[in-house]
Amino acid sequence: MRKRSPWLWVCALVVYAFLYLPLVIVVVYSFNDSRLNAEWVGFTLDWYRKLFANDEMLLAAGNSLLIAFVASVVSTILGTMAGMAMHRYRLRLLPILVLTPIAIPEILMGVSLLIFFVLLNFTLGLVSVALAHISFCIGFVAIVVRARLSGMDETLVEAARDCGASPLQAFAHVTLPLIMPGVIAGALMAFTLSIDDFVITFFTAGAGTVTLPLQIYSMIKIAVTPEVNAVSTLLMLLTLLLIVIASKVSPSLLRSNQEKAPS
Amino acid sequence: MAARTESRWGKWLVSGPPLLYLIVFFAVPALIMVMASFRTPGEFGGLAPLRDENGNLDLNLESYTRFFGDALYAQIFLKSFWYALLTTLICLVLAYPLAALIARSDRKHRDLLLLLVILPFWSNFLIRVYAWMIILGPNAAFAQSLNALLGVFGQEPVSLLFSSFAVLVCLVYVHLPFMVLPLYANLEKHDQALLDAAQDLGANAWQRFWRITFPLSLPGVYAGSALVFIPAFGIFAIPDILGGPNDSLIGNVIKQQFLETRDWPFGSVLSIVLTVAALAVAGLAAWVGRRGVGRLAA
Amino acid sequence: MKKLAIVLLALAALPAFAKDQLHLYNWNNYIAQETVKRFEDFCKCEVVQTYYSDNEELLAKLAAGAKGYDVLVPTGNAVQALIRGSQLKPLDKKELPNLKNVDPTYLNTPFDPDNKYSAPYAMSMTILGYNEEKMKELGLPTDTWAAIFDPKYLAKVKGRVTVLDSPDELFAAALKYLGYSANDTDEKHWKEAADVMRKAKPFWAAFNASSYIKELTVGNIWLVHGYSNDIFQANQDAQAAGRKFHIRQGLPKEGAVLAVDSMVIHKAAPRPDLAHKFINFMLDGKNSAELTNLIGSGNPNLDAQKYIKPELKANPAIFPPKDVQAKLEQLQDLKPAQRRLRSRLWTEIKAR
Repeated sequence: MRKRSPWLWVCALVVYAFLYLPLVIVVVYSFNDSRLNAEWVGFTLDWYRKLFANDEMLLAAGNSLLIAFVASVVSTILGTMAGMAMHRYRLRLLPILVLTPIAIPEILMGVSLLIFFVLLNFTLGLVSVALAHISFCIGFVAIVVRARLSGMDETLVEAARDCGASPLQAFAHVTLPLIMPGVIAGALMAFTLSIDDFVITFFTAGAGTVTLPLQIYSMIKIAVTPEVNAVSTLLMLLTLLLIVIASKVSPSLLRSNQEKAPS
Repeated sequence: MAARTESRWGKWLVSGPPLLYLIVFFAVPALIMVMASFRTPGEFGGLAPLRDENGNLDLNLESYTRFFGDALYAQIFLKSFWYALLTTLICLVLAYPLAALIARSDRKHRDLLLLLVILPFWSNFLIRVYAWMIILGPNAAFAQSLNALLGVFGQEPVSLLFSSFAVLVCLVYVHLPFMVLPLYANLEKHDQALLDAAQDLGANAWQRFWRITFPLSLPGVYAGSALVFIPAFGIFAIPDILGGPNDSLIGNVIKQQFLETRDWPFGSVLSIVLTVAALAVAGLAAWVGRRGVGRLAA
Repeated sequence: MKKLAIVLLALAALPAFAKDQLHLYNWNNYIAQETVKRFEDFCKCEVVQTYYSDNEELLAKLAAGAKGYDVLVPTGNAVQALIRGSQLKPLDKKELPNLKNVDPTYLNTPFDPDNKYSAPYAMSMTILGYNEEKMKELGLPTDTWAAIFDPKYLAKVKGRVTVLDSPDELFAAALKYLGYSANDTDEKHWKEAADVMRKAKPFWAAFNASSYIKELTVGNIWLVHGYSNDIFQANQDAQAAGRKFHIRQGLPKEGAVLAVDSMVIHKAAPRPDLAHKFINFMLDGKNSAELTNLIGSGNPNLDAQKYIKPELKANPAIFPPKDVQAKLEQLQDLKPAQRRLRSRLWTEIKAR
């Protein structure tokens, strides 16, 4: 009989509390009647009102969501491929190219990508930002997928092939469901990294390209007003809503595989 | 076997696209800046022209000799290393129970619990750090009660804000999901039957964890640790916002070279050393781990 | 994958067929929204704003080759760096009749003689900000740099003082404290300044250029090295929140750094015609005054004086009297070797 240890629950809840304490403050302070994000003064809905009148901020939020979505989809696909390749084959170059973007300081990446785009005479804009984001997100997905694959039973795939499945079918029906939790985890990380990136985005954004982090960081020396809390709260809720809807629309795609390998 | 003959082009089909993408949009730009480490800084910023007045190639090792001839930077690297290491270890301890809980939950709850982990990180980084400034501020409950306790023992009150403690707390907070998610992805595939069998054979909870769960989860542990340690090694934003006067890390020094000092070659050198060091540590840990797993599995 | 990249590249290279746009690269909250709207009506164009929060970020981005911006608003030493780096388009004075509105004191700077490239926009000083009640209670002076450098004063405010996280600003303050010019480049003097900072560092809470002002406003920090308009705003916020203390600006008698932000045109500006229109528009007194009334920044425009709120005109930290003006200095850009030395000193101060 499976006995779930109460200690596990307690520890996990403590960590959840640690994760959510600042978030509670972020949400609560979006109603704070003070320009500064420093102390509670009073309740107001003004910041939400200001937010909906602030076209710049809304555009920035929209751009951030768009870029994050595109970047996470593309980097998840490429990262999953990279993770699988690293697991199955002995590769020299790919592991280095996958890990290094994570290690390299963002400011170096940002400056070098800017120089690169300028050399190619590539107009900076949302596309250049997305391309940059994909670059550093691939690594995160690849590492998680590879960790998920390690120790995976290859005989399952071979059995499927022996039964007549093509490589693509074997992948779609055997491998993919098995690595799905890793793919999902990687996609979530990629989305998170992209939506909050500042340094690389700063250098690769064009004149007039705004994303939420760019907008918010430019306020850092003046006052990061509760309007930022408001937009963050709404963005979180919106993203959550989109994911819930997506999971309802395509349950088989997002549900982690329940079939365990026969021992 | 059919699989063998296809593995040739299968290899290129699977590794090709990511390889190509990374070569074009990462390796080539990065090489530009690696080359920059051999050049001279421009008079007013950026880089000096590649060819000097006489048309000769202006490449030198000046920035490298400056770095290696100065113990100061090694000190700062070491400090960053300790911060990153501590962050990784604390993240591991905090993330493990959470990842285990999610992995062992039934399907209905699992996705929700996972989303709940990552949800706070879709709010902006800056206001999360500001929230920590509020929590750790001198007038907030946490600091007040701590200082009251210290007062009971006759100790000086401490400031939680603008301190190494604040930097560490924030570092752990910001990196926690990158430890939880890989651990979860690995723990999810553990077969409960193994643990049940062990329990039937008389193993207690600690033994089940240490001799079965933990060794099996090592790939997840390494993945998570790499995804926490490597970025944490080079971070600069957190010390900038709530660090104390002594909390300048290598990430801050690198940023300074590119911005205030406008010494791109030197910034490049520091970045290259940082990258190599971070990858070396990750590689070393993986190598040690692979040997260690062998022993544990025996 | 390659095909997709080519398609994306092609899409990205399409020129913008939108209506007339002026790309303004400016500090955040450094222009009133009403002013922007009025200009948009005036020129029948759209102002697209992008922001930076640091001169150095602007310089780094332009040095790497970024294009697409029309008007930039850098501070004096950054203007100097841009001019020397041939990044700017010369101003066509015929398009800028309102340039005569500017106070001659701020025209014709050593780094831009005859204002070939820049038109002064707004200014601020780097001074002390303090919690009036607390400093009175502790009996500390607030009109001298000794307040943040002298250990005998610092001992009373240990852990409640922040200084700017900027080597240029802090070195300038330390040099002024020692009686030298803020633009002194003597290595010995720099080492003396570094020693002063090292002795004072144990008492400082942080090197901070971003979150210090809110800490001052809520009362966690009592004394800061900061920018005059930020400190002005801090008092406004403190009163609005009903705090029992006042935030005041302290002008050190040894002198301080004056930062004059100027409008310049990038050499690759897509619409220099709109850029000139904008600059001339902002040199008109009424438009220029709106910024001062909004954030309490200093104003080099004489014509703006009649539109500025009287309480701001009377504030010596916004419009310093002549004797203080004489002690203010604008920072000069440094040569690479000097920047390197300063960087080394700075890294050492922060690391040890």
